[in-house]
Amino acid sequence: MNTREMDSVFASALREALIANVERTPRLRRRWQWRLGIGVVAGSIFVGGGAALAAGVFSPPGAPSDTQLGNIIAVTRTGTATVDLGPAPATATNLSLTLTCLSVGKFDFPDGSYMTCSPADISGASGTSLQSTEVAPLQPGQDMVTIDASANASWSLQAVYVNRVTTSWGTNASGQTYGVANQNGTPDLVAVTIDQGEVQGYVKASDLDCASGSDDVNSPAQALAWDAASKNRNISIPVYESDGSTEIGVFVVGDALGPDATTVPLSSLSIGCPTTGNSP
Amino acid sequence: MASLPEEYTSWTKALGGDSEGFAPVFDRQRDRVYRHALRLTGNAPDAEDLTAGAFLELWRRKKSVRVVEGTVLPWLLVTTTNLARNHARGLRRYRALIDALPRSDDGRGAGDVALEHIEEVVVIEQVRQALNSLARSDAALITLTAFEHYSPAQAATALGISEGAARTRLHRARARMASALETSQAGERDDMTKEMLR
Repeated sequence: MNTREMDSVFASALREALIANVERTPRLRRRWQWRLGIGVVAGSIFVGGGAALAAGVFSPPGAPSDTQLGNIIAVTRTGTATVDLGPAPATATNLSLTLTCLSVGKFDFPDGSYMTCSPADISGASGTSLQSTEVAPLQPGQDMVTIDASANASWSLQAVYVNRVTTSWGTNASGQTYGVANQNGTPDLVAVTIDQGEVQGYVKASDLDCASGSDDVNSPAQALAWDAASKNRNISIPVYESDGSTEIGVFVVGDALGPDATTVPLSSLSIGCPTTGNSP
Repeated sequence: MASLPEEYTSWTKALGGDSEGFAPVFDRQRDRVYRHALRLTGNAPDAEDLTAGAFLELWRRKKSVRVVEGTVLPWLLVTTTNLARNHARGLRRYRALIDALPRSDDGRGAGDVALEHIEEVVVIEQVRQALNSLARSDAALITLTAFEHYSPAQAATALGISEGAARTRLHRARARMASALETSQAGERDDMTKEMLR
């Protein structure tokens, strides 16, 4: 028995329960629109290293972009095996690996992530099996990749060298940068999505900082006060187009929940950091 | 070629109502979350409960989940820490569901980790107490940086604060954590734990 790993019976039952839980979620969209109507909206913040540019997906400036170099190498193997990729092109920075499980088992990528495939994950004649893609940084001199798999577990791998670049932030007419936070820092306007990813826009980094307390907390006492105040309070901040002035929604900062939770606009609070209206 | 990190793609699918999108996220992150929970609780049943709670919270609070570098793992780790700080209350809404999940009948129980790793358990308890003594935001920062080796910049993104604020708070949180450990510890193992916080 290994207490460092989750009990497999419990894990498997939990997995089923989580899937059922997602399936049970009722009428997400209608509830969402209703919440939008009263101005309570949350969303996701895009960050560097995240989304890279599939068709139809919001890909804000500053996100990484991958370009395929050379041909895709496709192999099928059983058990642990090393795949020779040939010499890396000079401009290769990352390796894109797409693993498909062809039988039940556990499959480990070189970076320590892995996927497990249950009978339900394996395709029938027409379906598709569970697939996982990693874009891992290329190690110096690396020209092969090893997939660790259980003894009888079959898999297929599509591997290709890629050149990953971080795209530049945009700059709007007011001179504000907009896009996702990346290794260069945080732009003036930070990309977010609201309404289940259907609305994309930008929040001011200063609003975000202010609403999350980082501008207002300079001492342990203030931190404690902030924590206490945040317990039942969320703060909404405006979401703009990339022009930084056309408001298209609100983004909620905070995790207060339950009957006592309220959401208030940042502009209604006097919390000691510069709140902004429509001016940059 | 254009591609999205797989977990991000799965997560987006799940958000779109595709239940099969949630499974790969669970498969990828469950053991990391579980090991973190084990570190906070020191016993398998409680760690399993916390892991279940973190993933159930991931779905319940999906609209405010922060995706950092294509993964929801930092969010899960912070949520696990928050749940551990108030185990009974945080898991109350899921208690019936969690209790209904089957477990292996292999005798693993509260005492198992203790018997196998008695020294670790002492440290676990001290770390747990020290974490509990911190403000929630500070405990979250310590979780991500000291325990899970995220950079201050990544932790800042996960927590929605600026990098500068994260560094300032982290400095304070480390000092508080070290001081809390100082209070709760009297043995030579202190050095090991405090080393982690440097």
